[in-house]
Formats: sequence, C-alpha cells, structure tokens
Amino acid sequence: MLKNLNPISRRRFVAGALGSGAAVAAPAVLTGAQAAGELKMATFYALSGPGSLFGPTQTACTKLAVDEINAGGGIGGRKVTVIPSDGGAPPAEAAKAAIRLMLRDKVDIVVGSHDSAVREAIVAALKGRVPYVYTPLYEGGECNPNVYVTADTPQQQVQPSITWLAKTLGAKTYYLIGNDYVWPRKTNEQAKKYIAAAGGKVVGEEYVPLGAPNKFEDAVTRIKAKNPDLVVITLVGGDNINFNRTFAGFGLDKSIKRISYLLEEQTLAGIGDKSSNGLYSAMSYFENEKSAANAKFKAAYRKAAGAKAPPLAMIGVDTYGGINCAKALIEKAGGTDAAKLMAAANNLQYRTPTGTGVMTNRHVVKDMYLAECKGTSFDIVETFKAVAHGQTCS
Amino acid sequence: MASFLGHSAALIAALAVLPQLVGEFWAYTLALYFLYAIASLGIGLCWGQAGFLPLGQAMFFGLAAYLSGLSLIHFKDSWLLLLLLPGAALAPGLLAYGIGLLVFRGRTLSGPFFAMITLALTLLAFQIANSWNDVTGGFNGLKNIPGLPGLSDFTDLYYISAVALAVCLLAIAWLRRAPAGVLWRAVAQNEQRVRFCGFAVQNVKAAVFGLSGVLAGIGGALYAPQQNLVTPQLCGFLLSADLVIWAAVGGRATLYGPVVGAVLIGILTADLRDEISYWEVILAAIFIVVVLYFRQGLMGFVEPLFERLSRRRAGRTLDSPARPQATGDTGFALDDVRVRMGSVSILEGLDLAIDRPGIYCLIGPNGAGKTSCFNAMTGELPVRSGHIRIFGNTRTGAGADLLSRIGVGRKFQAPSLFPDLTVAENFNIGLWGGRARLRDLLRMDSHGWTSAILREAQARFPFLADEDRRAGDLSHGQRQILELVMVLIAEPRLILLDEPSAGLSQTETQEVIDAIRWVSGRHNACTVIVEHDMTFVRELADRIFVLHQGRLLASGTVAEVQADERVRAVYVGASA
Amino acid sequence: MDPILTTNILNVVYEVSTLAVVVLGLAVVFGLLGVMNLAHGEFVMIGAYCAFFVQTQSLPFLAAVPVALLVCIVLGLAVERILVRPLYARPFDTLLATWGLSMLLREGVEAVYGRGFKSVAVPLTDSIDVLGADYPSYRLLLAAVSIALVAGLVWWFVRSATGRRIRAVVNNRELAGSVGIPVTALARNTFIFGCCLAALAGVMLAPLLPVNPTLGLDFILKSFFVLVVGGLGSLVGLISGAGVIGGVESIVSAFLDRTYGYTTVLVIAILFLWLRPNGLFPRT
Repeated sequence: MLKNLNPISRRRFVAGALGSGAAVAAPAVLTGAQAAGELKMATFYALSGPGSLFGPTQTACTKLAVDEINAGGGIGGRKVTVIPSDGGAPPAEAAKAAIRLMLRDKVDIVVGSHDSAVREAIVAALKGRVPYVYTPLYEGGECNPNVYVTADTPQQQVQPSITWLAKTLGAKTYYLIGNDYVWPRKTNEQAKKYIAAAGGKVVGEEYVPLGAPNKFEDAVTRIKAKNPDLVVITLVGGDNINFNRTFAGFGLDKSIKRISYLLEEQTLAGIGDKSSNGLYSAMSYFENEKSAANAKFKAAYRKAAGAKAPPLAMIGVDTYGGINCAKALIEKAGGTDAAKLMAAANNLQYRTPTGTGVMTNRHVVKDMYLAECKGTSFDIVETFKAVAHGQTCS
Repeated sequence: MASFLGHSAALIAALAVLPQLVGEFWAYTLALYFLYAIASLGIGLCWGQAGFLPLGQAMFFGLAAYLSGLSLIHFKDSWLLLLLLPGAALAPGLLAYGIGLLVFRGRTLSGPFFAMITLALTLLAFQIANSWNDVTGGFNGLKNIPGLPGLSDFTDLYYISAVALAVCLLAIAWLRRAPAGVLWRAVAQNEQRVRFCGFAVQNVKAAVFGLSGVLAGIGGALYAPQQNLVTPQLCGFLLSADLVIWAAVGGRATLYGPVVGAVLIGILTADLRDEISYWEVILAAIFIVVVLYFRQGLMGFVEPLFERLSRRRAGRTLDSPARPQATGDTGFALDDVRVRMGSVSILEGLDLAIDRPGIYCLIGPNGAGKTSCFNAMTGELPVRSGHIRIFGNTRTGAGADLLSRIGVGRKFQAPSLFPDLTVAENFNIGLWGGRARLRDLLRMDSHGWTSAILREAQARFPFLADEDRRAGDLSHGQRQILELVMVLIAEPRLILLDEPSAGLSQTETQEVIDAIRWVSGRHNACTVIVEHDMTFVRELADRIFVLHQGRLLASGTVAEVQADERVRAVYVGASA
Repeated sequence: MDPILTTNILNVVYEVSTLAVVVLGLAVVFGLLGVMNLAHGEFVMIGAYCAFFVQTQSLPFLAAVPVALLVCIVLGLAVERILVRPLYARPFDTLLATWGLSMLLREGVEAVYGRGFKSVAVPLTDSIDVLGADYPSYRLLLAAVSIALVAGLVWWFVRSATGRRIRAVVNNRELAGSVGIPVTALARNTFIFGCCLAALAGVMLAPLLPVNPTLGLDFILKSFFVLVVGGLGSLVGLISGAGVIGGVESIVSAFLDRTYGYTTVLVIAILFLWLRPNGLFPRT
C-alpha cells in the first residue's frame, strides 16, 4: 500500500536492510547524509495490527498534503520527503524505528497517527530531540516537550455532544460501556461530569477487556433491563461493531439512542445500515461535512488518489491537518529548533480539511461535529464552533 | 577447558568490536534483539535440551520488565536499585520454578498439556497487565521509565545487553557440557529411566524451567530501562510465539540457535515488514517448513560439526563417591495388594514376601500380574489397597526416584535407556543417580567417574568399553546388557529384572546369568527376576514364586513348584 | 417468567450451542488423530469470509454453505496431506505446525480482503416473542440449527457404520487397522469433516460477527478451553465444558464485569489443565 508513496523512501528501506554493510564502509557518510534543502518527515501510521484498516487513508491523505506543500514550494523552501514507518507495530518496534529515523535518517520531524502506547514509546525514544506531531483522537494529557497534538480530546468530543443530546433528546438516564483502558475511562470521566451537569443520571457503567474475545449478548440484556435513554459507547474497532450489531439485533435501537466516540466511516461500514438506527458520533471530521473547505479538500483528494481512493474518515484525514500543522510550525519557528518550535506553537494557525485549527498549549482548539447515522453515512446535526481542548500543557 | 576458554574469548571479542563496525543505530537495534535472544535461549534449554515446550515465556519477560520498570520509577537513582534490578530478573525465575514444581509434580508425560498451561498463563498475565491500571498503567503501560543511572548513550545500552548475552551464553555453554546438561537431554529422551536412576524428574524439569524464567527475566529487566516503556504486549502471546519461532528457526537444540534466530529474523522482520507486504506470510511458511523438515534449525547444520571437533572425552579416572550405606532389613513384602485399571482387576490381594538375599524368579502365565507386581512396587501403578514394605519400611506408592535412592534398581522388559546419548553418558546417568550432589552435576570432573562394578562390567562385556557409541546404535542384546549394567552400577540391594534374557543369544544369556550372580553375591542383594525361559530360571533361582490371576499361587524351589498340581493345572491351561 | 431472565437463558443457550458446533469439529479431530488443530479457528474465519463472498456476488445467504464446504474440503485435503499426516507421532510439532498454518491462513486472507471489518447482512431481522421476551429470530434459528446439527452428528456417530469405525480407531488405532479399517482414509476424512464443521459455524455466525482475519483466534482459545474442561469422552463432556466456560463467563460478567469473567475462564482452564487434564468426563 505504500509502494507508490515515495520512491526515495523505498530505496532508503533497502539501504536499511543492508545498512550494516554501508555503515562499515563509511560511517561518516551517515552523519553527512542530510542533503541541504530536503526536509525529511517520518510518519508512523498503522500499517499492521488492528488499526491498519486506517493505514491506506492515512497514507493517501499524507500524500495529498505533501504534494500540495511541495507544489507550493515546500516547507520554508525545503521540499518534503516522507519516510513511512509502521505505527501498528509493537511499541518496542516503533521505538526502534524512531531511533533509526532520528540517528540514521536524521529526520526533521515526525508525524504519527496510532495508539497511545506507541506514542509513549516514540516520545520516550525521541526525548524531544525531534519535533513530533500526534494527530488522531486520544485521552489527553500529552505534555512532553516538543510534542504537538492535533488530536481530538475527550473534552472536545464529550462536552458539547452530551449537552446537546441531553437537551435535544431529553435524555435523563445514561448507560456507559467501553473497553477497559485509559481512553474510555478518561472519556467517561468527562461524560459523567457533563451528564451530571445536564441533570442526567448514569444507570450503568461497564468495561470489557481490550483485545479479548468479547461477546455482547449479556451487556445488551443488561442495557435492556435498565432501559436508559442514551448509551455512551467508548468501545473500539471490532468490539464497537460487534456491540452495535448485537444491540440492534435485539431490537434496542428502536427505543434507545446511542453515541459512540470512536465511530467514523469505516467502523460504521462494519456496523452496517441495519444496525445504525439512532446512533450518533462526535468528532472533528466527517466526510459529509458541508463546508466549502471540505468540498475543496474532497475534490483534491479524489483527483489525487483516483477512483479507488481509500474511504475518507477521521482516522486518516487527521494526518492532513497534522502535516499542515508541521508546515506552519516549522515556518513560524524558522527551523526545527525545539525551543523556537515550542514558542511558535502558541496561537499557531494551520490548515485543516474543514478550515483552520488554532494551537494553544500544544493542543488544538477546533470545530466539532455531532452526526447521526443514516444507513452507513453520517448526517451532521450540529456544529460546535471553536471547542476548547481542556489541556493545560505549558 | 582450553576450547571453552578460546570459545569465550572469541565470543567476547566479537561482541565488543561489533558497535565500532556497525554504528550507533545498529548497535541500538542489536541491543534490543540481544535481550529477546536471552529470553529465547531459555526456550532452547527447555525445548531443545529438556524436551518440554513452554509457550508462555513472554509472561516472565513481561513480569521482569514491569518489576524493573516500577523499581526504576519509584527508586530512581537510589542504591536500592542494585538489589531491585537483579531481583526483577530473578523473580520470574522463582515463579517459573514454582509453576514447574506444581505442574510437573506427579505427572510423567506433561508434554502438550504443559505447553497449553503456559499458553493460558501468558494470556492471563496479559489480562492482568492490561487491566490492573493502578499498578501496570493498563493498556498504555508504564511510561517514562528512567534509564539505568549513569548510562545514556545508545552504545552504553548495547554493551549492557551484550555483556548480559555473553554471560548467559557462557553459562549455558558450561551447563550444556556439564553433567546437568547430560541429565537434561536424558530427561528429554526417557523420563522413566531418569526416575529409575534416582533423579526426581519434576525437580530437574522445574529447575530448567526456572532457569529459563531467569533468562527471560534478565531480558525483561534490561528491557525496561532500555525502552523506557513497558506495555502489556510484553506479557502477551505474540511475543511468546515469536520467542518460540526464533528458537525453532535458529535451532532449538544448539547453543547459538535461539540467538541467531532472534537476531536474524528479528532484524529482517523489522526491516522487511514495511517493505514486503507478504513478509508475515513468508515467515509463517518458513516456520512451517522448519517444523516439518528442518527440526534442527539453521544452526543445526553448523554447530554439530564444531561440537564434534571439540568433544574429546577424558578417561574415567575418578572413583565415584560411595553410595550412602542403606540401613534396614533386606528384601520386601507385599501385603494383600490390590490394583485395578478401570474395570479390570490386575492384582487381587497379592501377598509376597522375601526377607533374605538371593535370586528369586517370578513366573506365571501372561496376565498373571508379574510386571504389574513390579509396577505396583515402584509406584508406577496406583495401589488401591494393601501395603508394600521395602527394606522394612512402608513404601506403598513411593516414587521410583526415591526407591532408586534407597537401593531399588529395575530393568524393564524392553530396554529402557537413552538412545541418543553415548554409552558413556548412559553409564554416567547411572553413576550419578543417588551419588551426585547438585555441586557434582555442575563439575566437569563428574564425567570421569568410574566404579568397580563399571570396570568389571566393561571387562565382562568388551563392547561396553567403546563408550563413544550412540546407545541407540547398539544391537538389541547389547542394549539389554547396557540397561542391566546401568541398573547394577547403582549398586542396588533390591534388583527387579523384567525378562533380562529376552532377545539375547545363548552366549549373551550365559554372560548375563554370570553377571547377575556376581552382582547379587557381591552386594548381598535380593534379586527378583520375571522370566519365561525355564532354563534361565532353573539355573539361577534359589526360589520361585508363581503368580496367577493377580495372586500368589505357589512358591518353593524349582522342584517343589514343578511338582505342584495347581501350577501344572495353570500351565497346562495357559500354554501346552 | 421475567423477560430479562428468559433473555439471559436464551443467550446462554445460543452461546453454548454455537460454541458446541465449533468444539465438536475440534474434538473429533483431536480424538481420532490426536492432533490439536490450532488452525481450527481459521476455518471458522474462512467460513465467515465465504458468507461475505457470496454477499458480494449478490447470491442468497445459503449459497455460502456449499461454497464454504468446497473451500474447506480442498484446504482440509491439502493440509491433512502436507502438514498433519507426516507429524502424527509428534504432538509438539503438530501443535506448532498447525499454529504456523493459522498464521498463514490469517495473513493469506488478509492479503486478499485486507484487515478491515466486513459486515454480512443478517438474513432474518425480525424477532420472536419467547415467553414475553423479544428475541432475535436469527439467533433462535441458529441455536436450533446448532443443536440439531450436534444431535444429528452424535446420533450418526453412534448408529452409522462409519461412526462405529471412527470410534474403533479412537479406541485403538493399531487394532482397528489390523481388522481392516482404512485408518489413513478415515483420518483424512475426519480431518476434512472437522474443518467443514468449523466453516459451517463460520457461515452461520458471520452475520453476527465483525468479519475480519483475526476472528478465528477467539474461537480456538474458547474451544480449547471447552475441551480442557469437558474432556474428550463424550457429548455430555463437550456440552458441560461449553456450559462451564460459557456459563461461568456470563455469570461472573453479570456480577462483576467482563474482565473478571474472562480472567475467571482463564483461571478455570489453567486449573483444569493442571489438576484434571482429562476434564470432567475423561475418555475411558
């Protein structure tokens, strides 16, 4: 899937396999390898593992962003070269790749869209020596130096959507179900706060192990017994699909509304049109977002990626904003010096598929959307302007 | 010894100059794979040496990584780390030893079940690491783990890993050559014979498993400060599986196999997974091919050559320590012993007592319970009721290893020895049993043990002097004699022989008869022989016991028994 | 009766009966060949992909059954010949080889269909009133078909000549061979049969699962635990194993949470492997 991304990177990988030989011959070549003018950008996308269904979109959106940037003269006059790595690998593998990219390839910046464990590994490997832009949605709290987060935070996803749903649907009782790890728990922490603020009540909360063979008949039966007004779902991937299909299979979709906080176009396709009735999602991107910016983005994407373009979805499209953030950051700082980048990040403005993002505390204030599923597509029912990210990184 | 030192020097030199040759990045990469390789070495010990397959080594690797990570986080820069980090490496070893003792206890053939238990345990370990958020950090793991104090450079980390790997390799190389290694390979081939030589096999296997836990622990304990991050995947099934694949492809029975497998496949995978989209498919296919056709793995082609070249057996110059002098009465007594298998009754209240030295024969038609009598006496068959006294003490249900240590020897009907070991190693297992202390099992000197009986046996049976032959290459008759000698060199006071003359030529039979007589007389032993060959019985037996349908039918001298009407009736009915 | 209780009972019946179909295939192969086929779950996965395949060809759902059987007969034949037969007497190696096969099949399917989740439409979308509880009719049908399938197969094992031969081989391989039972052919057919049973379960379950290449892993683990707990002796063992594993997980999950449910199942499996490796109903 990466084969046509960049011929240079391909050769570089071959060199990697034979790298020991090259290094034996001329270690000095490595230190002097940085060609002037070229800006090397390493990317970590899920090319293997459970997240790899997002890989093609991540790669295609990156190609679009980089082509646009290079067509416009590059970043600060330097042409961008992408060196892809696997963000779906185990954390130790990702860390190893990060070290390789930093030491041998001397990359200028790293962009990543992958889970938090891999992020921690990359952060630990880079130790702030190379700037790192992290793009998908996550649980918040990443404040390490020289790390720039364009991801959606729980505050951004939950606060406006729960408030809106409580008011519009008149939801009084809530049932929370998620996978047992930090993102669902942090997200539900926020959710419980806003449910209480809206005068609602949590009637049930449960977590299922991540990566276990989960079945949801018993959970759905429990939900049926509690009969809440709204189910707040923080399940991911296969569990999210499985739960929602079981939920609708038992006919609960007719009377109970659901909101899922990691539901984009690809997961929705897995859930299928028979099981998506009364299901909502809240994120910073949906393909059906109606702005002129998005229309332009989509047209450019279709033109670049062709007829067989991978589907546009939040996890994937996030990289487009991330790369534009990297561009704005380096140009504003006038280089990749860590201290200057950190200073430049404050009130940084950059281009996103749907408009403009504004960075504060190395997180992004952004527009959020609440969408209702209609079959296997999203219908945006509300737009929340400039939602705060709730992070306090200094 | 010289070759061992030369070998060590070469290994250390190679590891020391490597980073200068390959540069910083590859030094860093190698460092990580060295840590995995150390864990994989443990699989080589368990699977390649002792013959049981652990499918959950990652649980030990992960445990050590978590312990080491937590220590580094909570005791950053404290001198306590000097205790805590080695503790983190040793704790998984203790856990593995404990698991081994529990699982292997009272189980002779634990093969696939053991593998599946370790697999389930590693899934459990993953589950715990993944959900115990307060301690392990849950799915996202322990983050921001400080490095080892005073080390920051990637090359420093390389040297730490390389030193750990070199130490582990040298220790294993030593153990493989030491008597302990011979004992492990013996366990892999014939657990029963090892037990009947007086070794508690479950302890041997648990010790190997414990050692593999320490190896995984060393890898894991160094992983945390090197990677600064520990996630539940480190306890998971996939890493466990990778460790097994590396050991298998590299060569599980060889010293360097697991290291070569881990470093080669690991590095290829790391670089090719991005490049070749079918890499995982190819790797799976390679693994299947290795399992099917190249069980010895890559190093299996290379290492045996060197081993053969470097193996020079020293002569037997050291008299083995004397066995502890057993006290108590002579002989044994079975009192109303009953044994059932399913719905079939095998021993129906057998009474049998022998209380003075001599040679006794146990005869009776097929199915009379002769071999079962031996099996009941040596704990191989569960006794439902009745008592068994040996040397005056109640030993009902006692295990073969204990009995061997107090002076009971048993030869089986089909020769039971270690076909893939040399004749010398077969003898040594017999010599070490009941005599060698743990210390002796770690000393190379113990290979040179000998004893008067061994010397005598080699004089009587000259083929036994060619000690470098594979035991499995001997003829059937020779193997019978080898097993007999293995039993005899333990100097038992109660010798149970199950058809020792089966498959022997006339001359060999005569030699065996002489040997039995000699040993019996020399040690004042009580020898009980199950035998069909009446010439053999007539020549040897002081007294005969006739078994029929699980009971004692008659006893007496040959003449008395032959005159007994009941015995005649049984034999006429059974074999005309 | 309380509709929620009814629903819970039906859930257990559904889970146990569908699991039993998968386990039956694994148990027959293990019983007859002594081979623990760690790729068994991948045959479930292939069955599920067959259901997805016929859907993309706009064929009716039931067309997946012959497609899946055909695919698994061909695959099973090849696997038995190349992998299983040469390794009969090497239990570790069969374990490892079939596990290598499971990787191969998983990665192979991934190469064709990708990692993404495929969705198969549920053939029956309405629900039926059972004692006051609305229960999805496809699940009820699935439970009924599974029970019928298991019962029918057991009846066939007991009654038919082939069934008697299989039992003879299970009891004593050499003896069966010496009295003229074609052991090799029987073993081959049994292996294929086990694969087909798994695939059939895969077809049936496809509409209720997120179809993806790693789906088989869940089944092999659970099926294996069922065998460990129930033992290989009898249908009673198989069903009680499925009942214990399925039931304990549901009950613990209901009282504590799913994490504890799953952990408890693992602990039970470990205890059985350790203390009662022949299960509740051992083969005599």
